[in-house]
Amino acid sequence: MSENIIQVRNLAVEFRTDEGIVNAVKKISFDVPRGKTVGLVGESGSGKSVTSLAVMRLIPNPPGKITGGEILLNGKDLLKLSESEMRNIRGNQISMIFQEPMTSLNPVFTCGDQIAETLMLHQKLSKTDAMAKVHDLLTQVGIPNPAERIKSYPHELSGGQRQRVMIAMAIACEPDMLIADEPTTALDVTIQKQILDLLADLQKKYQMSILFITHDLGVIADIADEVVVMYRGDIVEKGHTEDIFLKPQHPYTKGLLACRPSLEKNPRRLPVVSDFMTADGKEKVIDVAVMKQQKQTRAIDVKHSELLKIQNIKKHFPLQKGMFGAVKSWVKAVDDVTLTVRKGRTLGLVGESGCGKTTLGRTILRLIEPTAGEIVYNGTDITKLGREDMRAMRRKMQIIFQDPYASLNPRMTIGAALMEPMIIHGLGSSREERLEMAGELTKKVGLDRSMLNRYPHEFSGGQRQRICIARALAVKPEFIICDESVSALDVSIQAQILNLLLDLQDEMNLTYVFISHDLAVVKFISDEVAVMYNGKVVEMNDAVGIYENPQHDYTKKLLGAIPKGMPKHLIQ
Amino acid sequence: MKGKSLWSDARSRLRRDPIGMISFVVICGYLLVALLCATHLGFKGYNVVDNSIAYQEPSVVHWFGTDIFGRDVFDRAAHGTITSLTVGFFGAGLSVLIGTILGAVAGYFGGFADELITWFYTTIDTIPYILLVVAFSFVMGPSLTTLCLAIGLTSWIRHCRVVRAEFLKQRERDYVQAAAALGSGNLRRIFVHILPNTFHLILINFTLGFISAVKSEVILTYLGLGVKPGTPSWGAMISDARLELSRDVWWGLAAATIFMFFLVLAFTLFNDALRDALDPKLKSR
Repeated sequence: MSENIIQVRNLAVEFRTDEGIVNAVKKISFDVPRGKTVGLVGESGSGKSVTSLAVMRLIPNPPGKITGGEILLNGKDLLKLSESEMRNIRGNQISMIFQEPMTSLNPVFTCGDQIAETLMLHQKLSKTDAMAKVHDLLTQVGIPNPAERIKSYPHELSGGQRQRVMIAMAIACEPDMLIADEPTTALDVTIQKQILDLLADLQKKYQMSILFITHDLGVIADIADEVVVMYRGDIVEKGHTEDIFLKPQHPYTKGLLACRPSLEKNPRRLPVVSDFMTADGKEKVIDVAVMKQQKQTRAIDVKHSELLKIQNIKKHFPLQKGMFGAVKSWVKAVDDVTLTVRKGRTLGLVGESGCGKTTLGRTILRLIEPTAGEIVYNGTDITKLGREDMRAMRRKMQIIFQDPYASLNPRMTIGAALMEPMIIHGLGSSREERLEMAGELTKKVGLDRSMLNRYPHEFSGGQRQRICIARALAVKPEFIICDESVSALDVSIQAQILNLLLDLQDEMNLTYVFISHDLAVVKFISDEVAVMYNGKVVEMNDAVGIYENPQHDYTKKLLGAIPKGMPKHLIQ
Repeated sequence: MKGKSLWSDARSRLRRDPIGMISFVVICGYLLVALLCATHLGFKGYNVVDNSIAYQEPSVVHWFGTDIFGRDVFDRAAHGTITSLTVGFFGAGLSVLIGTILGAVAGYFGGFADELITWFYTTIDTIPYILLVVAFSFVMGPSLTTLCLAIGLTSWIRHCRVVRAEFLKQRERDYVQAAAALGSGNLRRIFVHILPNTFHLILINFTLGFISAVKSEVILTYLGLGVKPGTPSWGAMISDARLELSRDVWWGLAAATIFMFFLVLAFTLFNDALRDALDPKLKSR
């Protein structure tokens, strides 16, 4: 028996698009050893998900097509099998779990029925026997009260529980290999840790191989034995995890490892991939002195006057209404929060999904009206302002949203989007003047003014986020809320945007509230950090202090769950 | 460098759809026929009376024969295009206008406005559509204007629901929140931001409404509640065929049916092609 469960040889996949043929995977070769975990890492568009779909022969045709190569499962070429032979392999010898458990589970069937389906299909069990096995599987994956959960529908479970149900479905037939396509990307860091531990335990128990696909090198360091790094459809480097992390060879790998914010380091600026590699893939000489510059902790002084004070802010949403509209219960999204933000500084707001940080951010700007409390901006309580006064105040307070794809009107050109705030606030005496100002804004964020006539869908995610930053700057604000502004970006683009935000802060003396669930990113960019949990601020300290000396149990739990970014035995 | 808007993207996809393009050509053909009839530049035989050739069978001279007055049936059916296209465009246009305004107000503002409008259209919707239209026509008397108003004032509900749902969805999108954060007022958010992103649905609903309006006109005229007697109309031709069939005179019915069939088919196929072209999820196919 071969030491490799899967051998991929010269695999090529192409897609037919309106713009022509796109070679998503370009003749790649790699192996997945028996009983080991291979991490397939790369950014958006690298071809890692397409590779996993090709192994399962799930490439949609049209528009996709596997144009060459071999995928050997125990020596048998999967690309030569018939569709019915391949169906016997899927869910049986090779299983897959996906990123979004809510959309991967059928909402109209119970969890028990969906897991049992695999067993009845491949192992020809009766419904009764299958349900007994389902109970056992749910226990194995750590679902509490499995007898009840068998009858639950997906919407009745949390994100972590749904992912556990997906894992139970995937291991039901004790497959030789499990493909996990970004299974923890949509989960909070504490839940992510639980899922990764579960996968490691199941791997040991069933001696199965795992092909783990992710963009997060921190997760790879925790879980993978071998790493394959993909870039633009090619494999640029592969090897043992230890070698990849300690001695990366390819400039792209070096750049990818260097551009991650880290809890252990305090760089002044984040390196970006282009510091290590030219556009055509050649290695660059790095300015080591710049890389080693450390971020100086900025003490509070007289120029950092109090700009924003949030006093006992509450935002409660009615949950249940009884007869005649009487409210029976409330969701306390923001529950009595008091914070101060100083001019020219960055307050990081960190917490997991549902803690209230985004609601707090939007309440500060009165995009959502607070239930109670005061928001005092430069001495003015903005909760008491009328519509026109609030509109004038909006010039000083802006926001950059998380999703650069959703926060630009797809029917407006970039130029129109940048000029809109100028039109609203009467900036610029003519269209030509506003166009000139829009051109200057694009330059400020590192784009070209020739892009003003183009539409959002013609830009990448990183470019769109730069456009969103430029739009926020169009009214020359003093204060900007960055609401998960880098969370939807690849790690190398994230580094560019974080550096840009810092440069703009230095140049324009901007004040930020930076909201994120990623503690390493928040630590990099913030002067002070507030940790939120269940609508309350549980701890607040300067950025270094909160990580080196956490006080609250929740903060400690949060920090403990973060992947360390290095293989465990190297840290020890 | 000029950018490629989503509309030009959709136009490119539509141009590559052979069935969509053929349907579009057929629709243009009907428009041309209507124009020629309205300007008396073609199909002049529709009103030429010659009792000596009454009920003549189809021939090379008269492709669909003649009617009881010796008038060319093909030319009469061609003139019926004017009635159908007029009712289709104005009837569907009016229903889309009403539906868009009410749907936008309900979806954007929510609260009491939404409840009131939802109550209103739910109540109207409980009345069978054909009874509503018949009641309008009965009260206002048969004419082309009555038909357009009757159809337009009674068939806006489906469109209103669609627009309301789309406004509810788009209102929460980040780009609308961003506009609010920039200081944009409600009117600007509705007309500059949300409405352009709803226009593709309005267009699709318009073509669906057009098909429905054409069919409604035929039914109402058949029932005697449509256009004034003597106005060329496919419904009138079908109504007249009730008696003509007993004399084995089938060509009047055939002409009206064939003209109507190809117009409705062309619009239906064009609607499908339009929907595919405007749907971003089908972009890669």
